[in-house]
Amino acid sequence: MTDSARPVHATSTVTAPLSQPKITARDVHFYYAGFQALKGISMDIPERQVTAIIGPSGCGKSTLLRIFNRIYAIYPKLEARGEVLLDGENILDPHYSLNRLRSKVGMVFQKPVPFPMTIFENIAYGIRHHEKLSRADMASRVEQALRSAALWNEVKDKLKQNALGLSGGQQQRLCIARAIALRPEVLLLDEPTSALDPIATSRIEQLVEELKSQFTIVIVTHNMQQAARVSDRTAFMYLGELIEFDRTEKIFTKPGKQQTEDYITGRFG
Amino acid sequence: MNALYLRRRIVNALAMLLSTLATLVGLTFLAWILWETLRQGIGALDLKLFTRITAYGEDGGLLNSMVGSVIINFIGIGIATPIGVLAGTWLAEYADHTRLGEMIRFLNDILLSAPSIVLGLFVYTIIVLPSTALTHGSTTFSGFAGGVALALIALPVIVRTTDEMLRLVPSTLREAALSLGVPQWKLTLQILIRAARSGIVTGVLLALARISGETAPLLFTAFGNNYTVFNPMDKMSSLPQIIYQYANDPGDAMHALAWAGAFVLTMFVLLLSLASRLLLSRTKVTHD
Repeated sequence: MTDSARPVHATSTVTAPLSQPKITARDVHFYYAGFQALKGISMDIPERQVTAIIGPSGCGKSTLLRIFNRIYAIYPKLEARGEVLLDGENILDPHYSLNRLRSKVGMVFQKPVPFPMTIFENIAYGIRHHEKLSRADMASRVEQALRSAALWNEVKDKLKQNALGLSGGQQQRLCIARAIALRPEVLLLDEPTSALDPIATSRIEQLVEELKSQFTIVIVTHNMQQAARVSDRTAFMYLGELIEFDRTEKIFTKPGKQQTEDYITGRFG
Repeated sequence: MNALYLRRRIVNALAMLLSTLATLVGLTFLAWILWETLRQGIGALDLKLFTRITAYGEDGGLLNSMVGSVIINFIGIGIATPIGVLAGTWLAEYADHTRLGEMIRFLNDILLSAPSIVLGLFVYTIIVLPSTALTHGSTTFSGFAGGVALALIALPVIVRTTDEMLRLVPSTLREAALSLGVPQWKLTLQILIRAARSGIVTGVLLALARISGETAPLLFTAFGNNYTVFNPMDKMSSLPQIIYQYANDPGDAMHALAWAGAFVLTMFVLLLSLASRLLLSRTKVTHD
């Protein structure tokens, strides 16, 4: 049997035209203790599609992603300027509640980082912070999240076991389950497969494909094939600037800029 | 076989030989110490040692000293653990990279290497003398004062290990929790302390091992007592103190008792170290 909890409202198609953007960046600049890491990024991220951000190391792609849920703000001396609109509201505005932002925008990191607790608790932990649920409701929420992350069948008999006993690929799917359990609107994936083997990687890619009907997904990746495989739109960044942002097909077949072409054909990067 | 390869093999063998010798020297002394305490104390290592008190002298045991040691160490570790864990947590999670944090870390290191007799004298002046004056001499030296002196020795050890263990927790774990909207205090209490738990407990056990052998700070604080007492406000005996006292005694029987006490104490410390080792290896948490 396969995971049955398919997305509830699967309506949008693969290359839907860019209607209402979910996230809009307007002239975003970012500074690491004086060093400028992003130079005036402006882009529209479409709703319920997969947007990939590619570019060589140090181009600022992770930095950009980390602005979308303001996770950068936990470190001192980092500063973002400009506007990032989520459904039209500027999340860089200090009045925008972090709690609200982070319940709307989930994030999955490069290395799988399960919490040192049971598999069940890993999922329930975040939910409990935002909602009060009965035991039964919580159990079904956890099951639903694990099913959506294509992990349920592998862990349903060991929910009480420590999550650190899972394999790397399972741990990463657990982290995805943990993020989507909060029912966010946006999922940020920061090189989610770079620590995984090819089989685990393809499972995650398949999962991304399944999840995009429910979530707006932004994925940062080093792997150009991955961007080509999973995304609807691809942004190419270089030295803190957004060089080109277009439909993935176009970026990989007839890019508009020479730099993009050089990068995707492996001439540098 | 070419000359370079031969040379590398010789250098390798030489380095191996030297490091093995160094290990053997260390181990030899450890085995020697254990052997000597056992050999010298075997005559007094009997049931009497654990059932009779020092008031019986040569015919006595060390019951009151063992009870005293347990109580004093319990007070010491009981005071130092909550303060130490909280202070270490503050250093690692709230004051990292701040000037105040750096300063406190430095001061803690100084306390870590402070001579224990100085701490004993300090507690003598801040607890023993005032309590003597306040109670007109009815409470002077006490097990409690001894516990406080030991707490001052255990505290920096616990602060240091808590701080270091928390800083070993990968920052991605913090980011993962914060990205779920979890606030810092919940993250610290429910995730980070849990991730670093075995390391922190190990630190506490090592601190306990360290203070259970301390003699100097107890001489001015707990003083000693030939009878078993449970009231922490009484003068109290302890194993290191009785070892010190009996070793200075001219009688051979007393020497044997001191050796037996030393053996018990050494075994206790050894077991604590082994327990902390076991704890660390069994609950190893890795994120790689």
